[in-house]
Amino acid sequence: MHGLSIRNVSKSFAGAKALSSVDLDLIPGEVHALMGENGAGKSTLIKILAGVQSADSLEVLKDGKPITLATSADAHNAGFRFIHQELNIVPHLSVAENISLGIPYPLKFGIAIDWRALENRATDALARLGVDHINVRQKAAQLSTGDRMLTKIASSLVSSGDDSAEFYVLDEPTASLSGDESEKLFQVIAELKKSGMAILYVSHRMNEVMSICDRVSVLRDGEKVFTAPIADTNRDDIIFAMTGRTIGEAYPARAKPHGTQIACAAKAASTAHVKELNFELRSGEILGIAGLANAGQSEILRAIMGLTPIISGRLDVLGKLAPTSPTQAWRRKISYVPRERRSEGLMLQRNVRDNVVLPHLDVISHLKIFANQQAEIAKTQELSDAVRLKSDSQKQPVYQLSGGNQQKVVFARAIGANPSLLLLDEPTRGVDIGAKFDIYKLVRQLSEDGCAIILTSSDLPEILGMCDRILILQDGTQSDIISAKDLKPAQLLAQFYETRAA
Amino acid sequence: MKPGRHKVQSMIRTFKLYGTLIGFLAIIIFFAIQLPDTFLSARNLINISQQISMLAVVAFSMTLVMVMNDFDLSVGSMASLAGVVAAVLFSMGYPIYIGIGAALLVGVLGGLFNGILVSFFGILPFVATLGTLTMFSGMAFLTSGGKTIFGRDIPSAFSGFARSGIQLETFGFAGLKIPYLTLVAVSVLAIIWFVLEQTVFGRRLYAIGGNYEAARLAGLKVKTLRLTAFVLTGLGAAVGGLMYASRVASANPTQGSGLMLDAIAAVFLGMTMSEEGEPRVIYTLVGVLILGILDNGLTQMSVDSYVREILVGAIVISAVAFSSLSKQVR
Repeated sequence: MHGLSIRNVSKSFAGAKALSSVDLDLIPGEVHALMGENGAGKSTLIKILAGVQSADSLEVLKDGKPITLATSADAHNAGFRFIHQELNIVPHLSVAENISLGIPYPLKFGIAIDWRALENRATDALARLGVDHINVRQKAAQLSTGDRMLTKIASSLVSSGDDSAEFYVLDEPTASLSGDESEKLFQVIAELKKSGMAILYVSHRMNEVMSICDRVSVLRDGEKVFTAPIADTNRDDIIFAMTGRTIGEAYPARAKPHGTQIACAAKAASTAHVKELNFELRSGEILGIAGLANAGQSEILRAIMGLTPIISGRLDVLGKLAPTSPTQAWRRKISYVPRERRSEGLMLQRNVRDNVVLPHLDVISHLKIFANQQAEIAKTQELSDAVRLKSDSQKQPVYQLSGGNQQKVVFARAIGANPSLLLLDEPTRGVDIGAKFDIYKLVRQLSEDGCAIILTSSDLPEILGMCDRILILQDGTQSDIISAKDLKPAQLLAQFYETRAA
Repeated sequence: MKPGRHKVQSMIRTFKLYGTLIGFLAIIIFFAIQLPDTFLSARNLINISQQISMLAVVAFSMTLVMVMNDFDLSVGSMASLAGVVAAVLFSMGYPIYIGIGAALLVGVLGGLFNGILVSFFGILPFVATLGTLTMFSGMAFLTSGGKTIFGRDIPSAFSGFARSGIQLETFGFAGLKIPYLTLVAVSVLAIIWFVLEQTVFGRRLYAIGGNYEAARLAGLKVKTLRLTAFVLTGLGAAVGGLMYASRVASANPTQGSGLMLDAIAAVFLGMTMSEEGEPRVIYTLVGVLILGILDNGLTQMSVDSYVREILVGAIVISAVAFSSLSKQVR
């Protein structure tokens, strides 16, 4: 057997299966696409291959011989090179220095850096990738994101000092690249292929996978459900493989129609990163915002929250122009569950109560000056019960809670304002199944009580199950707004790729 | 299952929270044994309380910014500047309340300047207040002409304040008095404790320290809050400077410079005592007491002042190192 055979990879986190008995083959000269929804197990698999996450079971055969991948050094020695979305490049060093970062610089007389040799080494590495447009003397800070990625790949060619690189893992490499930059990357991938490398290519982008990959495997809920040569399959099969599960009763159905009062209205509204938004949201309605990664989902919520200004068009929120600061937004009963729970939502070292009452301190104070501990305790208790929070006490620091309970703390805070408009940015990311269901019930309850809700999610069944209508974003532009009724995941996913009618 | 492990962990936890307090008591016991006649006498204790009162006021107000994970390096030179401003106005014949009022105003304006740099220009507090440290110091030299202002220029009512206090004769302690300076420090402690622990403003400062971005997204006016905290710290530094000037009945442009490092050290010592490592003003008091008692005891034992400095540095480092080590064990 030539190349790398990965057999029987399993991994559980606290009882929940992240991967079960996954097999994967990496064949020299082949680009193997790895696809699947968020949470399907792609990242866990990559971390295991990189040796940064231990597996419950794992067999790896390289050219038929068993090897171990217990540490990142093992992975490196086995020939793995990983190119992540976040490129750790040192911006104030030259391209040439960045390419040689992990290895000794060439020296003159044993002490002084031989700059010419250093630059030649970098130029050669780039040339091997067919890249000749990057000046290796310039600072890495001046490079575009795409060129930084090419620099990083060149660096991985020289970094070991030998030619041991055999397997490249590219994790959504084009997520932050422009079209031209992506094209350059595809040429480099072709060069790598030609020189006999095997490439594992993780992407959500169907067009790329169909055009540059040779084989595709799909993960769903931790299992490999599909694998086939690209030539023998098509778009629809792959989308069905990714989303084909039945949506059970996870999503509580709407019991009564939503209201008619307009909670939020956009007329050709644009910010720096999203353009031409047009929608009307009614009280009690749940509007989903969906699209490929980073298509501008969060930006819409941030605009409504007063975090990013409207530069043209008009955005009305709860009968007035959009707020200009989060302070104003909360005061006008707009609540917000930010995307990054840990960095934007919680004070991890502080306790449950401090986190829950944070935006409501003056409302429950005496004369808006003196803190009222009794009222804070009562309020926290009431809100924790409403979201079914499980914690030892109100005094427990939130870093000790599970992801699901941490998210419930953020929800408790949000509903504490008694909101008229609730903004949810990926509200169930990293949340366990049980807590997810609690959150769905809560969101449905709020909507039936008349609270308008905007929800972004990369989880298609969630968007379909919870939302009344879905606003589709393509590269920061609203492409359509459709009813979620009777819509299938495959149809929704197809919307993300649909070329817009001119 | 190893039965010993839990025991060791709970011991480490105990040490983590109470280690600094235990060290504090050990220092007191050490001096009580070494200096049996003088150290624990009422006179000496009252003396200590007066000696540390200036540092205490500056350290308590430093706690306000450190709660937000910020620093104010300019408090020492602000204290000098405030003292000099008051003294110069006295020497020009202005009444005491004008001198004091002007010095406090300078403290507020200096704090405002720091606050604007930090919260509206987004300059790191370390850099911003390092800059204003030099600026305030230069202004103090400029205002005083580089000289010490003393003697007849300082009104006796002003310097007399530091030397007087509430007589304790009625309580049976003949010849003893609680110095006014001590009372000022206690009042500042009470005010800052109340502000930090019992007001919405204080709770919000803790929230900013907990997660600036989360506080901003939760609708807190983070810039204004941060600015206000710096203003209060500047005001506290000016109060400390005035107390110092009153105590030594003079003002010179460098007399406050030692306060900054000691104030930060005191807050750091205090932070080792709290569960999640956040500063609290009561714990800052313990930090101030440790530094003050060491100073007092070692001076009485005639230990060289350079040796004292080495000891103080070593104690601060070991307390913080111990606390961060025991945190890693968790």
